[in-house]
Amino acid sequence: MKVVTGVVGNDIHVVANRLIDISLQARGFEVFNLGVNTSLEEFIDAVVETDADILLISSLNGEAEGWCRDLQFLRSEYALKDVIFVIGGNLAVGEAAQSDIIPKYKSYGFDLVFHQVDLNTGLDEIERFVKEKA
Amino acid sequence: MSLLQKERDVITRNEYADSFDFDEIEDFIRNANKEMFISHHFKKRDRLLVQPRGGFPTYKKMFELYEEFMKADIDVLPLTIDSNTRLNDYAMAKKMLTLSEENEMDMLNGYPLVNHGYRTTRKMMTHFNKPVSLRHGTPDARLLVETALASGIFEIEGGPITYMLPYSKNFPLDKAFLYWKYVDKVCAKYSTLNEPINRESFGPLTATLVPPCIVIVIQLIEMLLSIEEGVKSFSVSFSQNGSMMQDIVTSNVLKKLAREYADMFGGEDAIINLVYHQWMGAFPRDKNLSDSLINTNTVIAAMVRADKIIIKTRDEAFGIPTMQCNAQSVANTKYTLRTLKGLPQVHDAEEEENLELEVRAIMDAVFNDPADTLWRKVFNTIKSGLIDVPFSPHIINNNEVITIRDESGNIRIIEKGKLPLPDRCFAYEKSKVNLPESKTEVINKIIHDIGAML
Repeated sequence: MKVVTGVVGNDIHVVANRLIDISLQARGFEVFNLGVNTSLEEFIDAVVETDADILLISSLNGEAEGWCRDLQFLRSEYALKDVIFVIGGNLAVGEAAQSDIIPKYKSYGFDLVFHQVDLNTGLDEIERFVKEKA
Repeated sequence: MSLLQKERDVITRNEYADSFDFDEIEDFIRNANKEMFISHHFKKRDRLLVQPRGGFPTYKKMFELYEEFMKADIDVLPLTIDSNTRLNDYAMAKKMLTLSEENEMDMLNGYPLVNHGYRTTRKMMTHFNKPVSLRHGTPDARLLVETALASGIFEIEGGPITYMLPYSKNFPLDKAFLYWKYVDKVCAKYSTLNEPINRESFGPLTATLVPPCIVIVIQLIEMLLSIEEGVKSFSVSFSQNGSMMQDIVTSNVLKKLAREYADMFGGEDAIINLVYHQWMGAFPRDKNLSDSLINTNTVIAAMVRADKIIIKTRDEAFGIPTMQCNAQSVANTKYTLRTLKGLPQVHDAEEEENLELEVRAIMDAVFNDPADTLWRKVFNTIKSGLIDVPFSPHIINNNEVITIRDESGNIRIIEKGKLPLPDRCFAYEKSKVNLPESKTEVINKIIHDIGAML
């Protein structure tokens, strides 16, 4: 399976991004890593270009919301309904409860949302989601 | 008029900067008090110099910070630059500075030096009469450095690789080399007037499992690029990496090879200093544990026989520290250093031999590149992955090297990517770690090793 991944917005935190890349490869995914400082449009372009099955966006500096509000629009614009959209990391500035964060990002068009979730837990859940969908 | 001077006239003619009077600036530097030159203090080598980090937007608050530091018997004052100036956005810096001054609120995360100008800033620098270190992270620091030198700041941190690979995704590396060449040229020019201007490289890089051979190679390269332009005082640096033994080994090899390569490239008369950074990774959220970590760092700085230590604060996990907290950290570090007497000299022949072989192999690969100048050779070497910084966000970095800690906390290379390491060295690295069977377990161990001090 093909995964496009990267860190959204003006965020230069690269360590987790590299770990996600390595972990996905270890689990047998074909990874297209756009790295840090990536806009939503760049992500969508890469998904179209690579014909990816999953888009896995990460964010650490808490500013992801401002960058991801247009996902629903882009998703319908490009007819990407079969692509699985995932976001994970630290998804709010300051402290926030998962019960607030998850529905909010789902309403923006994400299928799976991981706010301050351990990397392997998140990846396990993505694999389970893929299996159920198939 | 020389070509360099023409270039300097263009660079310094900027609506946000003072109008530069180069004759007056030369006079000022020629007659500046020697106490203001860190190179003068390095020459004496009578104690380990202590330097914190710190920068506030307004002149008033910067002045107050320096007063706090002076009370703590500081050796080197820092001047940390705000993030807009780092990106050459002086218009935004000006706006935020005005807001900070009007509302007595800090709207910038550092001192906007270009906007304040050298005529104003110089008053502060000559008032305190201490060496000041310019800390920033600017790929194009030409106007910033001109302003700093004219202000009486005689140490300039940074370099084309160390302020690029950890801090940027796509600033053109070839441009960075040329902009830093300009900085080195100007520093060298002023070095002939009084005590030399010191240039300092930034060894911590991404501060995440960077193997010592990569750190040393990049330190040596930035040193040679500066020496090539005529710089006579240079500081190589690295940060605490998690194993006291590996820090000592790194220091021994770095000191030895820096001298050797400097001499080989016409820098026999250059003074080379060693700077040690306290732990640059994630800090514990318990402030007492932070104090303990800082204290241990200080002991290691003395063990590696550094010339200067750059310190952290107990508020590290929580953002920009207060003036008082920062000054307290200076005082504590100075106290720890006063109590350390009769430290033994430690060596590890086997580790040092292995590290030295690794560094020499990569340096040979740089010199064997067919390009005509050193900076082009280095550029090609980074582009082709022969130099590879783990966890660099920059698109030019190869990102194939994978490292992990052994049982003693030493950073070991388990995937060498395109690093031109001799077979026996790579075998030695791998022999030190027992890797788990599954790839997922290896990754879990890496995650654990990154947070080693939490």
